[in-house]
Amino acid sequence: MRRIAVSSFILAVLLAASVSAASPKPEIVGIGGQVRGREARVKFTLQNAFTPEMVEALKSGIEISFKTVVRVERVHHGWFNTTLGEIKFSRSVKYDVLARVYRLNREGQEDLLPDIHAALAGMTRYEVAVPVFIDAESGKTYRAYVRIRLDRVGLSEPLRSIFFISSLWDVETDWARGYLTAP
Amino acid sequence: MTQSSETLLEKERAKRRRERFAIGIVAVLIAGLTFLEANLAALGGSVAFTSNIVIFALININVVLIVLLIYLVTRNVFKLILDRKRNILGAKIRSRLVLIFIGFSLVPTILLFVAAANITTTSIKSWIGGRVGVALTGALEMARGKLEQEANRLTGIAGDAALRFPRGASIGEAVEILGTAREKLPAGTVLMLADAKGIIASSGETPQGVPAEILSRLKGMKFTEKDDVSATLVGDIFASSVRKLPDGRLLIAVKTLPSGEANSIREIAKAYDEYHQVRLLDDPIRASYIAVLILITLLIVFAASWMGIYLAKQITVPVQLLAEGTEKVARGDLDVRLDYRSDDEFGHLVSSFNRMTGDLKEMKRNLEEANVSLSSTFEELRRRTQFIEAILTNISTGVIVIDRHNRIAMINKVAEKLLSIKTEKVLGKPYKEVIREEHFEAIRALSREVGEGAGRQVERQIDLPLGGKKISLRVSVTVLNGGAGEYLGLVVAFDDLSQAMRLQKVLAWREVARRIAHEIRNPLTPIQLSTERMQKKYSAAHEGDAAFAECTQTILSEVATLKHLVEEFTRFARMPAPVFKEGDLSEELRSVVETYRAAHPGVSWEIETEAIPHAWFDPFQLRRALTNLLENAAAALGGKGAVRVGCVHEPELGRVRISVADDGPGIHPEDRERLFEPYFSRKAGGTGLGLAIVSAVASDHGGTVRARDNEPRGAVFEMEFPIGPKGRG
Repeated sequence: MRRIAVSSFILAVLLAASVSAASPKPEIVGIGGQVRGREARVKFTLQNAFTPEMVEALKSGIEISFKTVVRVERVHHGWFNTTLGEIKFSRSVKYDVLARVYRLNREGQEDLLPDIHAALAGMTRYEVAVPVFIDAESGKTYRAYVRIRLDRVGLSEPLRSIFFISSLWDVETDWARGYLTAP
Repeated sequence: MTQSSETLLEKERAKRRRERFAIGIVAVLIAGLTFLEANLAALGGSVAFTSNIVIFALININVVLIVLLIYLVTRNVFKLILDRKRNILGAKIRSRLVLIFIGFSLVPTILLFVAAANITTTSIKSWIGGRVGVALTGALEMARGKLEQEANRLTGIAGDAALRFPRGASIGEAVEILGTAREKLPAGTVLMLADAKGIIASSGETPQGVPAEILSRLKGMKFTEKDDVSATLVGDIFASSVRKLPDGRLLIAVKTLPSGEANSIREIAKAYDEYHQVRLLDDPIRASYIAVLILITLLIVFAASWMGIYLAKQITVPVQLLAEGTEKVARGDLDVRLDYRSDDEFGHLVSSFNRMTGDLKEMKRNLEEANVSLSSTFEELRRRTQFIEAILTNISTGVIVIDRHNRIAMINKVAEKLLSIKTEKVLGKPYKEVIREEHFEAIRALSREVGEGAGRQVERQIDLPLGGKKISLRVSVTVLNGGAGEYLGLVVAFDDLSQAMRLQKVLAWREVARRIAHEIRNPLTPIQLSTERMQKKYSAAHEGDAAFAECTQTILSEVATLKHLVEEFTRFARMPAPVFKEGDLSEELRSVVETYRAAHPGVSWEIETEAIPHAWFDPFQLRRALTNLLENAAAALGGKGAVRVGCVHEPELGRVRISVADDGPGIHPEDRERLFEPYFSRKAGGTGLGLAIVSAVASDHGGTVRARDNEPRGAVFEMEFPIGPKGRG
């Protein structure tokens, strides 16, 4: 009896793991940039964020929004690192069916993009400025940490009531890190 | 290890086995349901809702609920089964109630679930798959077509205006041109001149946000005409046409829709968006509805089950308490008080039960007191009854009690024995049925005489034939009356006068014997002496005279006989008073019998005695009486036959009975009345005093002697007297 129970449990865990591994996981790549004065400019790219289902949903008028956290640290070898600055911002895209354009909202600025590729590029390529509270020192090591997660999907109110929460897809990256140069 | 500890251990093992079994089932269920969840992605359509937290949450809640429900139901079912096996009070009704509640909730809930799921699925399908989408798409196309028509019309306006702009016109010239053109523009139409930095001049007030949107959309946009000089743009509230001037600047003609139209178009676009969202999310929505319905169904079943258990407990707990209480009351415990408080009927029932037990206890206490009193009274009555019974048993008077219905209510031992009747056969029967025909006249005469007068008593001496002999009885009939004078019945008391009469006869005969002995003895000696003198004096003279010698000898012989007779008379008349001693009666009998065994070897002498306690008797007189009886028996047998001597003790009567039975010729019926009279003898040479002496000895011992026929032949003589010292009196 115990063997059957244990075997069943392991099988269930393996099945769950294989299901979760079936689709590629979103990740942040190409983190880089410069720290100059009291500002760090960080570039990075989000990969595997848009599944075909999400693209289809985007085309159907569902708003997709990502919330991003960028943290800049000064790296001390053999000592605790120091957080110099952090910003949080949202970026969203929605297809305007009447105007037939993609409305890309980046850090409060709206761009009207004619095609889906431009919209997806706008949602996945980032270059942001992170204020830091001390002047950057040339030659020192700085590192940026980035994490992105799906903020919300712009469902209509009845659907929100049905689903209790608006998220439909579990887009959430791990903390990714990359070194910044300090010229 | 003791038996009880082994039992406990076995129970514990069984419990563990059950737990493992339950855990195994739950694990298998979890695995199965997880597999199902994972495969829902493949079943669910195009949307990847496997990552949907809500769906997972709902499903997992359902799983938890299912497992919880199974656990609870299984636990309760096991508990109920165990309770039923243990015959715990209330288990059967509880299980029935739980099953009824679950059944009643499960059937409609499942039906409701099936119906609701069907309606939901059908509704969603009709909503998404119907003509709503076509209508929305048509409405959107119409709205867009209208906007595009407006934009095309604006293309002409923008083209006409562009012709008026000289190449490189200044801002002032542009303002003037646009101002001139404004008067000819349709209502709501604005002309604007823009360069790379934005709007630099306009024919009127520019709608808010529209220019910025147009400029944004124009970035990187290719114009539609061959010379790339014009393009049309529509938005949700405007239609526009853009003309590229030769100097690179843009001339934009914009028409903003009235707010009503703009709102309508916005609503159409919004509905279109929502429709597509719903269509896209068809499966998750359906799944969520089903999940919610399952959740509600499970909650209803869960609630119904718990409600069933709760209500069953509400009902069975007081019922169980009442049943246990009743059981205790049935076992006699009237101190039972049920601790259950409620305002409902069960509360009243329990309260009534407690009141009832209190009343019962009070009644029991009263009954016990009454019982003690009754027991005391009964004991007193019993003592009195025993005393009366002892009196009736031990008195020599026979007593028969006849109730008011003329039925025999009581017979004492003496009467039973005297009349040779069995109490159990006659008790409760009408005395007229019991009375023998030959006694009927005598009894009827007595009863007629006594009548039913209060306190009347009649005493008569009557002779009744009984067992082939006549017995004389002194009968006393007394009418019994109650305290109120009512007739209660009759008491018939009778004494056997035969023994007394016999004794009187003996006494009379003793007196006769004494006088005869006295009168005869005196002349006998002179007669003897005279005869002897005559023999001496005249024997010589009458020598050869045979008559003389014979006559004198006859005289002497008869005188000797008379002397012997006188001697017997004297002995009979002078029987000494008995000297009682406590001794072993059996041993005494055995001793006498052994003497005769040697003297009469041709007779078989048997003795049967049981364990008899020591009795009070005069050994000398008893031996004398026994000797007479055995002598008679031996004489009757003529030296050949069997004599059986027996002795029995009758504790109820406190008497011993000695019997001497032979198988000789028996007693002649005519002699039966006179057997114990002195000087009555059928034996040649017998004095007729032997049995008279036996009778006198028995009488001196406070007892009696009687003779009866032996079966199959012979005679039996029975001497009976009290075993105790009181027999002396």
